[in-house]
Amino acid sequence: MKDDPAAVALKFAFLGVLYLFLLVIARSALRDLRGRTAIAPPSDGTGLHDIADARVAATDAALVVVTGGGLTPGDRIDLFGGVTIGRSQEADVKIVDRFASGIHARVHTRGNSYFVEDLESTNGTYLNGADLRGEAPLNDLDEIRIGDTEFRFELSFEDGY
Amino acid sequence: MSARNKELLGLVPVAGLLIAGFASVFVVGGDDLDNTSLIFGAYFFAICLAAHIFLRIRLPYADPYLFPLVALLAAIGLVMLYRIDESFARDQANWFVVGLVLFMLTIVLLKDYFVLERYRYLIVTGGLLLLLMPRLPGIGAQVNGAYLGVDIGPLAFQPAEFGKLAVVIFLASYLREHREVLVVGARRFAGITFPPIKHLGPMLVVWGAAMFLLVFIRDLGSSLMFFGAFLALIYVATNRISFVLIGLLMFFAGAWFFASTVGHVGDRIDVWLDPYADAQGDGFQVLQSMFAQADGGLFGKGIGESLLTAPGNDQPLIPEVQTDFIYALIVNELGLFGGCGVIAIYTLIAARGFKIATIAQDGFSKLLAAGLTAVFALQAFVIIGGVIRVIPLTGVTLPFISYGGSSVIANMVLLALLLLISDRARRPQQSTQDVIG
Repeated sequence: MKDDPAAVALKFAFLGVLYLFLLVIARSALRDLRGRTAIAPPSDGTGLHDIADARVAATDAALVVVTGGGLTPGDRIDLFGGVTIGRSQEADVKIVDRFASGIHARVHTRGNSYFVEDLESTNGTYLNGADLRGEAPLNDLDEIRIGDTEFRFELSFEDGY
Repeated sequence: MSARNKELLGLVPVAGLLIAGFASVFVVGGDDLDNTSLIFGAYFFAICLAAHIFLRIRLPYADPYLFPLVALLAAIGLVMLYRIDESFARDQANWFVVGLVLFMLTIVLLKDYFVLERYRYLIVTGGLLLLLMPRLPGIGAQVNGAYLGVDIGPLAFQPAEFGKLAVVIFLASYLREHREVLVVGARRFAGITFPPIKHLGPMLVVWGAAMFLLVFIRDLGSSLMFFGAFLALIYVATNRISFVLIGLLMFFAGAWFFASTVGHVGDRIDVWLDPYADAQGDGFQVLQSMFAQADGGLFGKGIGESLLTAPGNDQPLIPEVQTDFIYALIVNELGLFGGCGVIAIYTLIAARGFKIATIAQDGFSKLLAAGLTAVFALQAFVIIGGVIRVIPLTGVTLPFISYGGSSVIANMVLLALLLLISDRARRPQQSTQDVIG
């Protein structure tokens, strides 16, 4: 029973197949790490992308997630036509935030400008740190805070930077 | 290639490994090499195929690699157990089938797994009661100074295996609701951020439960697992490393206190630090397992080749080799490469699990996936770490490989939950989002 050649062959075959199998799975895991597949969409079914044709303003703009809300920092939420932000399922941008109201605020366009409007939320919407009552026009790089969630408003120009 | 086809393709090499393993055991055992190993392989493949078809129907988008990886662990376990004792492998194969039935039941009954969130207090109460059962007179069973098992007539099981599921479900749903207040209410004191006392309730309860396990049930391994999973969840929920450090500090303070007052825990640590002090007694098991692993060399002695009992007597060379020390046998027979391969399987399962947590879209799913993965990975770490003397040896099973029905069944339920979460996370939405290949 010492060093049966068949057993030795089977042992190396076993190890070989085992490692090949693991390699294949590890490769797909690595691909996941390199590519940005883990998108974790900002909210459940915002349907934002479906209304791409409904652009109103002359310039495209986006809200960039800065922190909080169960969203991924750096994610861009396109503002085609305007969005509502809040904790309820009905909000276009659904955020996980204890201090947010169901439909907390909305960003919309009128003419060539974007506006942010607090929808009588309980804890208020803050624009660049100041408590916002009613609505106010948005300028590039304005910061909007709802509870613990912060967004940055960014205009994107034609040749984009 | 669709997720399910990848899964099917992954099951083929697993069945091949099982066949090769059994063939090797037969060859070495001096049996004629007939088609028995092929029949075993075919049975195994058929059972996996049944589960695969079930997944194809119920969870078409679930992670494609988790099930083949688990089947691989089960295949390695079956080969090793068959090699130790035929009857172990037969029992284990039955449990594997029972586990798969429970796996399917979980998927059918908990399709909407958010109901778990609603019944969290019921679940955790049940879990803690289960943990208490081994100490109840009449049904409790003491093994090696620890109260791990419950024995009710024909039914014997290890409640800690199921308790871990209950605790993780509870923590995930509790933290989903309270994580913001834990962060916002935090106070800085002396440069360290402390969580708010008011919302610390669950932290203290779980810390208490972990310590309680240590003392009352003397289950060092499970208490490590529970507390580790809890810290992982706290970290995932709050992103505060200071909470984890405070938790670790509390754990070590408690562990140190009990190590110096409870004999059983202290003994384990003494054996870990110096097994040679009592090489024929307390240290015997650990030392034998280390010799066996060293003896395996790089590529091992071959499946079926290792010596289980000393020549001329039937005392096992490594006591409890079919449960706690099965990893030592794997390293002896397949060498350093085989051992690393097994660790790589667990690592990959953990990677898939955490990936599910990152792509899940709501807080409860994220926390649940992270918690289940953490507790699974920690279980493998605690027992492999104990066998290779990285940490004190504690009696938990090596998931899906060790001999033991509770472990197989509980971990099958865990796998079912992970697949449920991943199916939901990867299900394409009605809009044209590019979802994860």
